[in-house]
Amino acid sequence: MAGRSGFSVQTLSVLAALCAEPAGWRHGYRIAKDTGLKSGSLYPILIRLADRGLVEARWEEEQPAGRPRRHLFRLTPGGLAQAKAALAERAAAPRRRATAAGRRRVAQEGT
Amino acid sequence: MDRVTRVLAGLLGRSAGMLPAARRKWAEAVLAEAGEVPAGSARVAWLGGGLWLVAREAVMGRIMRVLAFAAGAVGLAWIGWPGASSNSATPLNRVYVTGTVVLLAVLPWVVRRYFGPVRGGWAPRAARVGGYAMVLTLIAAKAVKDRDGSKLGTYFVIVPGEWIMEIVFLLVIVGCLAGLLILTSQRIRLTRWSLPVGIGAGAVTAGVLYALAPLGAGFILFFPLGSLWGLVSLALPLATGFLVARLATRDARPGVLNPAWQGCLAASCVTAAAALLLAVLTTVTIALFPHHVPLQSPPPPPGGGCETCDPNNTVIPPGLRHEYWVEISVGQAGMGAYIAVLLAPFLGAGLGALGGGLASKSPGTRRRGGGSPSAASPPGPSQPLMGRASDAEREQVIGLLKAAFVQGRLAKDELDARAGHALTALTRADLAALTTDLPQHPRPG
Repeated sequence: MAGRSGFSVQTLSVLAALCAEPAGWRHGYRIAKDTGLKSGSLYPILIRLADRGLVEARWEEEQPAGRPRRHLFRLTPGGLAQAKAALAERAAAPRRRATAAGRRRVAQEGT
Repeated sequence: MDRVTRVLAGLLGRSAGMLPAARRKWAEAVLAEAGEVPAGSARVAWLGGGLWLVAREAVMGRIMRVLAFAAGAVGLAWIGWPGASSNSATPLNRVYVTGTVVLLAVLPWVVRRYFGPVRGGWAPRAARVGGYAMVLTLIAAKAVKDRDGSKLGTYFVIVPGEWIMEIVFLLVIVGCLAGLLILTSQRIRLTRWSLPVGIGAGAVTAGVLYALAPLGAGFILFFPLGSLWGLVSLALPLATGFLVARLATRDARPGVLNPAWQGCLAASCVTAAAALLLAVLTTVTIALFPHHVPLQSPPPPPGGGCETCDPNNTVIPPGLRHEYWVEISVGQAGMGAYIAVLLAPFLGAGLGALGGGLASKSPGTRRRGGGSPSAASPPGPSQPLMGRASDAEREQVIGLLKAAFVQGRLAKDELDARAGHALTALTRADLAALTTDLPQHPRPG
């Protein structure tokens, strides 16, 4: 399912979710809700993106009351540029291979 | 449902420990966020996904590696183990098969114990997998060749000296593999092109020497000074040592191995890879086409005396003399490559040290003290903490963190977590924050 940018539809949906508010840190469950991905699909994608330096991750700094610290993610500047390019490319050729659901999510989240 | 959730969370927490350190935080992240997910089936699914993640990341990779090695070991035993009891190579082959499988299986553990985990990425991984495949192939082909060359077992007596030679040969081969694992471990920091240049030059050398004499390059390797190609094959490691040392002097990253050392190691890679690859190619060719091996000259002693028997007065029956001659030729074919394997790493190290030394002394290069991260120039107090972090600064902070780990100031988990943050840090202030509680930190007071 990989397009010319090399990202799968699912990865693109994660990038789109992260692109929506590039400066802010998000935790995994929020991205899962935004993209509709299950943890078992979402986290491997985040790991690959982090390995490629497109996503950066950190633990929440202050210990919140009543719950464990969360792991937070956002796009690196390089990641943001690549994500925008990939999403623009996908938007330019929307009918190519993408599933209806994936396309809808990308279109909805993309900027 | 509550109980299922608890069980899954417990499993996930425990299984996270199976992941390599750099991956552990991801499983912990899934666990930490489980509380956000609505209780019930959604949370169960979330934790299930976390377990799947652990399975994907830890178990699969490990199982794949173990299965691949087991397949190689079974293949080696299948090819190398059988043999008639009258064949004098049979006991030798069985010792080889057992020794190779055991040594290759424990090698990664030993290297990990003393040098830490190996580097990821396709190139180091391909080098390691290729090295293992080459050694398994070499031992299997050598077993077939020796079996073909020792059918008249009574006349091919393996004397203790030969046993010692064979065991030293196996140990040197395993030593080369150990070197490969160590050079691709995370602790040894090489300039990016050192290893590919070394192995590539070795592969080219092996290819040329093999093309010149597919059934044994005895003379070329025995008398390197006597032939043009032999001279070329000596000049190559020298040149590689020089080139790699030059490249390494331009590598300003902290903690990178000293250029002269890198030249020495790269040249050892050239000769060791060349000799091993040549031994593999030659041995496989001989094992596949034993009838094409040229009969050695001079022929066995007139009157049918047995060369390898002791005392030297055993007479081979006339009907077996030709077979004996063929077998002794097959058995000794490829010996040049094996002797090259024994000598190559040391020869290469010497030549590389020479080349590397020349490179670091030649004008226009500067010598740096290698190894210790404190030798690197830290961003001094005068440098502001504002601005974006550079890769060199990230590397330097990682060097400081590692030094702190070695000194016992940081636990392994903290080291991994902080090194991870250092790699992803955007600003210099983020970087400096990682070492504020450590001595020698780059941050101004």
